[in-house]
Amino acid sequence: MPPSSSLRGVTQLLRETVQPSFACRRLGEVQQTAYLSTSAPRFASVPKKKGLTAAPKKGTKTLNVKKGRKQSGGDTGKKPAVGERKAMRKAVVLSNNNALEVSSLKNLDNENVLDAEIAGKVYGIPDDAIDALRAVDAFKPKQGWKLFRRPAVVVRKEAMQLAQLIKEVESGSEGAKKTVRRIITGERMSGKSTLVLQGLLMAHLRNWVVINLPEAQDLVNAHTEYAPLQGSQPMQYTQDTYTANLLSQILKANKQIADLPVTKEHSLPQPLPPKATLRSLIDIGVATPESSWSVFAALWEELTQPGRPPIMFAIDGLAHIMRNSEYLSADVKPIHAFDLTIVRQFVDYLSGAKSLPNGGIIFAATSGSNSPTVDALNFSLQCAAARQFAPEKMPRWNPYTNLDMRVMEALKDVDTLPLKGLTKEEARALMEYYAESGMLRAKVDDGLVGERWALAGMGNIGELERTTVRMRV
Amino acid sequence: MPPRISLFSLARSIPYRTKPQAQWSVQPLVRAPQQCRTFADSKDSTTAKQTDANAQPLPHITEESAKTAKIMGEKGPDISQGTPVEEVVKGDKEMQDKLPKVMQDALKSKNSQSPPKGSRSYSTTAMMTEGGDMGLADMSQSTVVPAAPGAKFPLPSLPLPQGSHVKHRYDGIVEQVTNLIMRHGEKSVAQRNMALILQHLRTSPIPTINPNRPLLPGAPPPSHLPLNPVLYLTLAIDSVAPLLRIRNMKGAAGGGVALQIPVPLGQRQRRRTAVEWILASASRKKNRSTYAQKVAEELVAVVEGRSSVWDRRNAIHKQAVAARANIVLPRKR
Repeated sequence: MPPSSSLRGVTQLLRETVQPSFACRRLGEVQQTAYLSTSAPRFASVPKKKGLTAAPKKGTKTLNVKKGRKQSGGDTGKKPAVGERKAMRKAVVLSNNNALEVSSLKNLDNENVLDAEIAGKVYGIPDDAIDALRAVDAFKPKQGWKLFRRPAVVVRKEAMQLAQLIKEVESGSEGAKKTVRRIITGERMSGKSTLVLQGLLMAHLRNWVVINLPEAQDLVNAHTEYAPLQGSQPMQYTQDTYTANLLSQILKANKQIADLPVTKEHSLPQPLPPKATLRSLIDIGVATPESSWSVFAALWEELTQPGRPPIMFAIDGLAHIMRNSEYLSADVKPIHAFDLTIVRQFVDYLSGAKSLPNGGIIFAATSGSNSPTVDALNFSLQCAAARQFAPEKMPRWNPYTNLDMRVMEALKDVDTLPLKGLTKEEARALMEYYAESGMLRAKVDDGLVGERWALAGMGNIGELERTTVRMRV
Repeated sequence: MPPRISLFSLARSIPYRTKPQAQWSVQPLVRAPQQCRTFADSKDSTTAKQTDANAQPLPHITEESAKTAKIMGEKGPDISQGTPVEEVVKGDKEMQDKLPKVMQDALKSKNSQSPPKGSRSYSTTAMMTEGGDMGLADMSQSTVVPAAPGAKFPLPSLPLPQGSHVKHRYDGIVEQVTNLIMRHGEKSVAQRNMALILQHLRTSPIPTINPNRPLLPGAPPPSHLPLNPVLYLTLAIDSVAPLLRIRNMKGAAGGGVALQIPVPLGQRQRRRTAVEWILASASRKKNRSTYAQKVAEELVAVVEGRSSVWDRRNAIHKQAVAARANIVLPRKR
């Protein structure tokens, strides 16, 4: 038997089993020749004829990607960037260059803001106050600021009540200053948020410290990070990023306190520089959010030292903080909103458990359009209204509703500030301002004022704006 | 042998429209005075008058214009003083050509300040059928009706002012656009969008008018537009609204070819066409967030002459001009 035949068998075997590189290395010297075979042409795939495809089966859908099927052309503009549309939605525009300048519009200032003679008229907001209010997010995007040349407010009856409260706080003797607590209630679009803005404006013009929680929902909807507060019993939770942001807002809105010296010793994660001011204190909290809560507590302590200005502390959308938040504790139980440190700070003062030694106003507004149903809050507000206006008609507790006792306890003796519609005189002043701004194209006379006042549900200010200025009747 | 070209078949290929209600007659309202003299007219009445008028030599130009002004009931030039040459040649093209160069230049520079003449190749002036209202809300009360006996309040005076009827409280064009914006019968959403559009128009900066895309004649200055958003909307829509549409008459051109016949549109139809173009080109935009904002920006683009809707309108008009030979007017008697 020639050796080649046995070798051929081995190569055949190797070709089937081992890798070709290995086979080549071992059998490099063996001559590779083609053997006669008919299998290759038999198993070779039939080359397709070009341009001839089988017709699709009946009933099957085929992908048709012909050019020009989709409409080309059109706008080649960029698509909005990430977050651009939200920014557009949340943008607060405070002026309209097309609106006419109202020559008779006077500004509110430090002196006239508490006068009785400004009642029922429209007044402009001075520029520095606009900056401060913008810094604390007091302007809301859905309000009608963007239609007018510059922001202005009508000083309504309830605003005068607020001015009276501010006067009372300021006139208190040193050491026995009042802490006024009020909850603004009223129908939807009756101007509750705008009254909070007016309160902040008055306080700012009187050189108070202005602290605002613009939207209570942001505190409890679990969109900002939270952490347990060490050494608290029962457990409380801090919201560091939110608090840091709040501190920076406080610094921007209250320039007058920035250069006050730090008078007490505070246990902070970072040491304060010698001769520290409140600005340097706040800057620590802004720069390191982990320490923001202890900075906030230290700042509060500084502000409550004797000789410091009164405080205006306001919140909008009260119902959100009167129930469990969306946060979960370590044992997966919902955290009550009162266990969040910022909320607790507010509620302690709202309930009267603590009071401000330098005086101040704790101001809360309910919301008509964005508020969960909280039975305890509603019942407390009914009780408060009855206590103020009709003590003989105290509402009875419905035993079939689940009342949150912590909320009931907190709102035990808070007074309300109910917002009603504008009077016709106020409505007339407002409509004259609209007409002078060029936004209302009509002669403002008694007939028109009466008609629009009635259409607006007896002077509901939001509806009045809608029937006169907005293009949706 | 009969002639090979049949006159009847020739006449049959000429298209004509048979629908009488779609025809309109173009007849001058004022007939030109008869040029020819009938047998009853006296032979030399006109010529005699002419000779009378022409018998006197022409007075001095200042005297002449003073006389003309006196006839017209205006205050003419002072005869004791001379008349400036500019006033004399005003409106007289032939005389202006013969002026010295310096005065011609002065005249030209004065003319260039006036708004440029439209470069549009067709006359597109449309008659206002609604008496030039332009969408201004009429808030004024009409005359007071005497009180009905025994009633506490007097009867309302009719017609009610605009905005007083709950079903017609919006301006006509606003209502039409709202209905065109509406999708799936959601009118409230459409109304909200309409309000947003008008609000965008009133807060957007004053538009700069492109002289190549002239708006309706008699349009207010652009600075007035944002303060009156309904007028802004009306102006944008009416300015690009086409005057005609092309009706294709099937097979009328012979050989299966459709014959294009321009058909005039009514005001509401014109507005509808324009709004549909605007909405289509707005919804093709990708870069803005809301539909209302896209539409509002398209409206601003129309007024500023940037919109592609103008080209569409011009194309229709051009086509209509080309096809105007296909219109068959009724035979004059």
